[in-house]
Amino acid sequence: MSESLLEVSDLRVDFRHDGRLVRAVDGLTYSMRPGQTVAVIGESGSGKTVSARAIMGLLPPSAKVTGSIRFDEVEMVGLSEKALRSHRGCGVAMVFQDPTRSLNPTMRIGAQIREAIQTHEKASRGSAQDRALELLELVRLPAARERLEQYPHQLSGGMRQRVMIAIALAASPRLLIADEATTALDVTTQAQIMELLRDLQQRLGMGLIMISHDLGLAASFADDVVVMYAGRAVERAPTQMLFAHVRMPYTRALLDAIPRLENESHAPLAAVPGQPPNLALREPGCPFTPRCPSATDRCREHAPVFEEHEPEHLWACWHPCEDRVRL
Amino acid sequence: MSTGEQLLDVRHLVQEFEVRAQGGVRSGVVQAVSDVSFTLAKGETLGLVGETGSGKSTLARAILQAPAPKSGEVLFEGTDLVKLKGRDLLRARRQMQMVFQDPFGSLDPKWSVARIVEEPLVAFRTAARAERRRRVTEVLDRVGLDPERYADRRPRSLSGGQAQRVAIARALALDPALIIYDEAVSSLDVLIRAQVLNLLERLRSELSLTYLFIAHDLALVKQVSDRVAVMYLGKLVEIGPAESLYREPLHPYTVALLASIPNPDPAASRAPVTKTIRGEPPSPIDPPSGCRFRTRCPRAQDVCAAEEPLLRKLADGHFAACHFPVSDDAPAPALAGGTHDAAAPD
Amino acid sequence: MANLPSDLVVAGVAPRADEAAADRVAGRWRGRIGVIVPAAMVGFIFLLCFVWPIIGPVPPPTGGNILSSNLPAFSPGHFLGTDPVGNDEWSRLLYGGRASLEIALAVQAIGLVLGGLIGAIAGYLGGWRDATIMRVLDVLIAFPGLVLAVAIAQGLGPSKLHTIWALCFFSVPAAARISRAATLRVREQTFITAARLSGTSFPRMLLGHIAPNILPQLLTYALLGMGIIMILEGALSFVGLGVPPPAPSWGNMIAQGQSTLSAAPRYVFLPSAALFITVVSFNLLGEGLRARWGSQ
Repeated sequence: MSESLLEVSDLRVDFRHDGRLVRAVDGLTYSMRPGQTVAVIGESGSGKTVSARAIMGLLPPSAKVTGSIRFDEVEMVGLSEKALRSHRGCGVAMVFQDPTRSLNPTMRIGAQIREAIQTHEKASRGSAQDRALELLELVRLPAARERLEQYPHQLSGGMRQRVMIAIALAASPRLLIADEATTALDVTTQAQIMELLRDLQQRLGMGLIMISHDLGLAASFADDVVVMYAGRAVERAPTQMLFAHVRMPYTRALLDAIPRLENESHAPLAAVPGQPPNLALREPGCPFTPRCPSATDRCREHAPVFEEHEPEHLWACWHPCEDRVRL
Repeated sequence: MSTGEQLLDVRHLVQEFEVRAQGGVRSGVVQAVSDVSFTLAKGETLGLVGETGSGKSTLARAILQAPAPKSGEVLFEGTDLVKLKGRDLLRARRQMQMVFQDPFGSLDPKWSVARIVEEPLVAFRTAARAERRRRVTEVLDRVGLDPERYADRRPRSLSGGQAQRVAIARALALDPALIIYDEAVSSLDVLIRAQVLNLLERLRSELSLTYLFIAHDLALVKQVSDRVAVMYLGKLVEIGPAESLYREPLHPYTVALLASIPNPDPAASRAPVTKTIRGEPPSPIDPPSGCRFRTRCPRAQDVCAAEEPLLRKLADGHFAACHFPVSDDAPAPALAGGTHDAAAPD
Repeated sequence: MANLPSDLVVAGVAPRADEAAADRVAGRWRGRIGVIVPAAMVGFIFLLCFVWPIIGPVPPPTGGNILSSNLPAFSPGHFLGTDPVGNDEWSRLLYGGRASLEIALAVQAIGLVLGGLIGAIAGYLGGWRDATIMRVLDVLIAFPGLVLAVAIAQGLGPSKLHTIWALCFFSVPAAARISRAATLRVREQTFITAARLSGTSFPRMLLGHIAPNILPQLLTYALLGMGIIMILEGALSFVGLGVPPPAPSWGNMIAQGQSTLSAAPRYVFLPSAALFITVVSFNLLGEGLRARWGSQ
């Protein structure tokens, strides 16, 4: 029984917006071991980003968080800001979507990395600079020494994202969260960055959580996939198993909606009608009901429980899909 | 599915931008579109793929003369749009419309849905108000938005998919022949995207439309297109039937794009991307001499720096601009420590 | 007001009937207090200055009986007393307020419309037209507002109308600046490109697309500027170049009250306090609207 790196139990996050209570995360439960790569997949409003911020302790003070997030056996929910700050960066680090906005445009690259290093350990300017160079080389940034003196705007999007990763790795975190880290990048750069992340993760033995809407990306790089919808986890399985034996109709819909190179031109995509639910309204039952081809009255009235139905394969559905013959 | 008649004939299109450094001083010129030529047949869907800086969006706007290109010809049903001005250009514009990437950005937040869709009708002064209203209702219906429920809404109260449908309705209002989709589904959620794509297909066949579909996702483009064109740094590097491009890509950049697509089937194994393309995109202000892709290309030789490859026919309807196109006898090699200079960082 | 992460902005859907109505209402009103209170204050001031003298028992502000001059506060028939010439102080305060407000409103309205239009045209067209217009405006803005106003008022002679013209030289270029900046921002939006591709004519672009989208900013600026204009008017009147006595304005009341400052400070204090409260109310309203509209 390997120690678990992260255990999220029944996490709920509420916001107040325009006078209404919006439940962004509604009972999320999952765990991961050290060195694992877990992809958290969902569309907008699924709660995937909010849950990631909750793990980092980065939610605004107006957010109400209940449930439990245990990182390395330490309970994160309810920790003081001070405790969270020391935990961020050396326990868990995050790489954000838009490197343009996450890097300070008025500070040189080297200075920003040094800042990250010096926040977590006592280091002289010189040794921090050396470590910064090491980190840039670790993320395979070409001409690293020159880059230290440059400003973010002198780098391309892909390079900036590498810098972001270097900053995230500055304090040797045990868990790295990549929140749509490649979404804003070109396809070719995206692939390069993903390969880099995977290499780093294997080399440094970090846990990696990939937050994305791109199921294909998850398939290529993750060990396990957690699919979220309307703030809840609806399916979880090791990647191969998920694609071979998808059970939750939502996950199947996601898979079917991805354009494939193998498809013929002008072939219609299997699409479900409707749109993601309004998180301000909490209906009983399964949130996917209005759009689900297999929905019944039972789905409308009672929310299915997210639990393990087959070995290592968890889902929340009353009418899971059968295995189908795949081309 | 095309009738073979040519709708659009773009010849040697060039579009440039001035680059200003701090303080507004001219510091250079970017050739965002550099000598691009292609044709589009009636009823056909041409997909245009490229990454940031490829010039695909600029090309689309240049075709629509917004702003007019620096040089080249854009023949729409025989008439050169570049030469048109004022009233004549306005009249020609009726035939072509565009749907943009940001569903909300392209709708005036202060206008109602009905007013937004009606705008082109008002601008061209087609018909009296009653007739315009009828047309708005008709076109909203076509895109799957119930006019009763949506006509008076503001964009703020719409979802991304609904907003994009409004934009599509607006594009259809004047009954155009050509619609250009500039990353029109890229900001939508996966499931909504599929819905909208199906809508586009349906509209295409119902109304006999011609599409120019621009995106950075090659799989997406291939699914909706008859032919696909690939752009890199302002140049058209490959163009051909969608199926051919996928099965037998000719240009090394196309190979790299195909390799970068995350494959949802984990059973499929692919060469890592780093073997098909390396380095960073060069600066558009100072593109590499000769072939613009040579600094990242695993097949580049000296001649690639000296001489710019021109688009030439290498198979049926399939063209590529490369001195060493990929083929069965010379597939894309792995990048094993080349003797060529690494990409100069920008 | 919580700022939701971007992936949570959910399309508006009609709220459920049984949702806690109080919960919903409370949340929405919380944001509006910042606007409602100052708006009420401004409304009240307007009511007093414009409506009350017509319907209520307010003696005329001029033509007072010298025999009842310098009466103290709470005298019968004159609850704020009378001025050195016998005019009712309360009446002078109200009519003075009316004059000051009329001037400020007129100046800001002209600024909004004229300045707003000029700025929007400059911002939208760009190029040499923009450059020319802006250089002309720059010249006007370069003059210190008060000096310019004084010079013009001096040239035209003191009267309410001339005060308005003089102050417009200040408000029009300032509004044009704001309008141009706002227009430049709106111009970059895709819906402008879409409108152009739809064939929308230039006047319709300006009035249909640009104007409604820059109006919130212009309006906020106009409200914040009310205070400035009222003080400028006060200054003009103070030096005798604004509203000519015996017609009262808060500015000339303060000027006149100067001479008897130690003996009867209320002649200065009352119009000053009124000016202060009015300016603060407009400022709060402008700020409140800016906060509310900015967050949308």
